[in-house]
Amino acid sequence: MAKNKLAVLVTSKPTSNTTHTAIKAIEGAIATNNIEVIGVFFYHDGVCCANQQMQIPSDEFQPLVHWQQLHLTHHIPLHLCITAAEKRGLTDEPSTCNIAPEFTVSGLGQLVELTSQADRVLHL
Amino acid sequence: MTSSANRACAPKSIAILNSQSPFKELAKEALDVALMFGSFEQAVSLFFSGEGVRQLVAGQQLDSLGMKNFLATFAALKFYDIENIYVCQHSLTVRSLSNNFHIDFVQLLNQAEFSAKLHAHQIIYRF
Repeated sequence: MAKNKLAVLVTSKPTSNTTHTAIKAIEGAIATNNIEVIGVFFYHDGVCCANQQMQIPSDEFQPLVHWQQLHLTHHIPLHLCITAAEKRGLTDEPSTCNIAPEFTVSGLGQLVELTSQADRVLHL
Repeated sequence: MTSSANRACAPKSIAILNSQSPFKELAKEALDVALMFGSFEQAVSLFFSGEGVRQLVAGQQLDSLGMKNFLATFAALKFYDIENIYVCQHSLTVRSLSNNFHIDFVQLLNQAEFSAKLHAHQIIYRF
């Protein structure tokens, strides 16, 4: 049987409890084995999740590490809205790039595509 | 197999629920999302409740706070065929706001109607 397709929109700040909830929800969805997470779209303050230069104290939750793990271990596509990202100090200019390589630079059209492909969408 | 492909590709009804005042960055970025769905000819409806109703109130001067007046862009919604625009009457009432809006096609709904209309959509994005 085909898996249910889940798309996730993250607009919360990286240090927000709702970003933590999004990560846990995706990990839970993967663990069920009957949900396919077709992609995560980062928008609004959620784009800061891709910032490699963000320094969060080591005894606190590290969202970037978890996003990287979801991408590297489970091949979850991480789409970054570049317009929202550039507004918040992120750049993909080769000499000054501060976007983690697991993230794909993208635009709002990608959110439309994910939404149309998904059976369900989660927004946190 | 084909049924699941059809299910995923079938057009969805999308609701964008605006709950923040126009003075928040989120309000402008929510409008950008609505326009993008509109430009891809997706069925998108706009909902305004809570502080979000202030986005529709006429005569606001965002530039006086150093913000770009993105509310002017609401006038473009009709060119994207976004004509389902719903506002929560209760949210207006408790803020002593009138229904003097800066765009047309706004439909006033009471709380039960607003909730029913919102939940008739398959996807809800809340900004």
